[in-house]
Amino acid sequence: MASEDDEFTMLFQDFYPSLCRFLECLLGGRAPLAQDLAQESFLQLHRTAWGTLPVGEARFWLYRVARNMAINEFRKSNTRYRLFDRVVEAMRPRARNPEQEFETQERKALVLEMLQSLPEDQRAALLLREQEQLSYKEIGQVLNVSESKVKVDIFRARASLRQRWNKRVKTAGASIC
Amino acid sequence: MSCGFTEKISSLIDGELSQTEAREVERHLLSCSECEQVRADFLSLRSQIAGYESSLEPTVQNRALKKILAPRPHRTGLQWAFGTPAIAFATLLIAGAIIGLLFYQSKRAPQSQTTALVQQTPAPVPSATVEKEKQPRPEASPETSSETPPATPNKNEKGTNSPRLEPATPVKRRLVREPKPGEQFASVPERVRSADAETMTAMHFENSETLLLAFKNVRLDESGSAAEVSHERKRAKQLVFQNMMLRREADASGDVQISSLLENLEPILIDIANLPDQPDAEAIRVIRERVERKNIVALLRVNSTALARALD
Repeated sequence: MASEDDEFTMLFQDFYPSLCRFLECLLGGRAPLAQDLAQESFLQLHRTAWGTLPVGEARFWLYRVARNMAINEFRKSNTRYRLFDRVVEAMRPRARNPEQEFETQERKALVLEMLQSLPEDQRAALLLREQEQLSYKEIGQVLNVSESKVKVDIFRARASLRQRWNKRVKTAGASIC
Repeated sequence: MSCGFTEKISSLIDGELSQTEAREVERHLLSCSECEQVRADFLSLRSQIAGYESSLEPTVQNRALKKILAPRPHRTGLQWAFGTPAIAFATLLIAGAIIGLLFYQSKRAPQSQTTALVQQTPAPVPSATVEKEKQPRPEASPETSSETPPATPNKNEKGTNSPRLEPATPVKRRLVREPKPGEQFASVPERVRSADAETMTAMHFENSETLLLAFKNVRLDESGSAAEVSHERKRAKQLVFQNMMLRREADASGDVQISSLLENLEPILIDIANLPDQPDAEAIRVIRERVERKNIVALLRVNSTALARALD
């Protein structure tokens, strides 16, 4: 039992942060909600599937469950959560260097804004590829779609983001001139 | 993005192309500046997305792990655990059904008690009634009684399986049955015929019995033809229609015994009603034999008596 818990702790330490990041990006930067869902996913794994699931599969299982939970959250009327997240974000302790903190926040906001412009399936596929370095086959396993669909979704997401990025750069250049 | 290689560039930076394909795309990239720019942009996007830093703090992570690994609160004894609204709804539904059933039973109880009273009315034991009633045959002439094979009580006592004993069985109807100790009549109320129908049936049995006795006593001429059966024919015609009506009523009310008796009686009444004006002795004899064989007269008497007593 102790060794099982140790194994689980190792898995948790390895993947909890990345699962939180994946969910945060998927949910448009709602960090507290993302952390709650990540915790809930690990809790489900520990109570239901841990021990019966091969260790190699656990990671995919976690991402699949977490993504489904995120989709459920999208479906809910979530104004309340948004307000709560903003309050939490405002109360969060800031870094010592305000300039650096500002830059980080700006960059994160930009990435989130661009990701939010994508459809959910494209966003999830791209995040799993760019952040988690999963192969197309593994992404298909997590999202329960074919490998070819993953390939197309990732390409479309990249093309869309590139177009958006270029447009943004042009607008910024025009305003500077 | 007009170049046909842009989609392959996406797969190339993900390492999802075969070696041949990858080499081909790489060669193309050397000559196509537009596609080279696409690759640079895709890689730039990758670095931005991959460089996204989560707002997670170590304290939150540790707290989450403690929560997950904490032992579940142990439930002791019986507890209410309506896990889902569906279980609560199902419980309410069952409770509603039980209350409804109890209410229905309480409403039906007085009616069932009345039924039980009717059913428990003491009545003579049918077999004894058959024996007593069969002994006096007041209207039977010496000739006919000698012809007729007598339904002696001795035969009945022996308990032989002769057809004459069979009619005694239907007489053991629910009207005369004694309730067994602890038996609840009210719980499953049987279908009971109306008092009017039972009165009519009793009267019909009496009339039919009288007719059959009269028919049995019809004298035959020396020529072998019956002197006069017009009265019996007319009476039989009247009784046939009544018989049909009562039989349907008995069928509808589920009284199988009365229904089967009426069913046996009906062809005999029809035969009598269809006799010619001057019937020959053979036709009369055939009908008489059928009456005797089916022991109709005794059965009619027993049933009419039982019905009459039940109605009293």
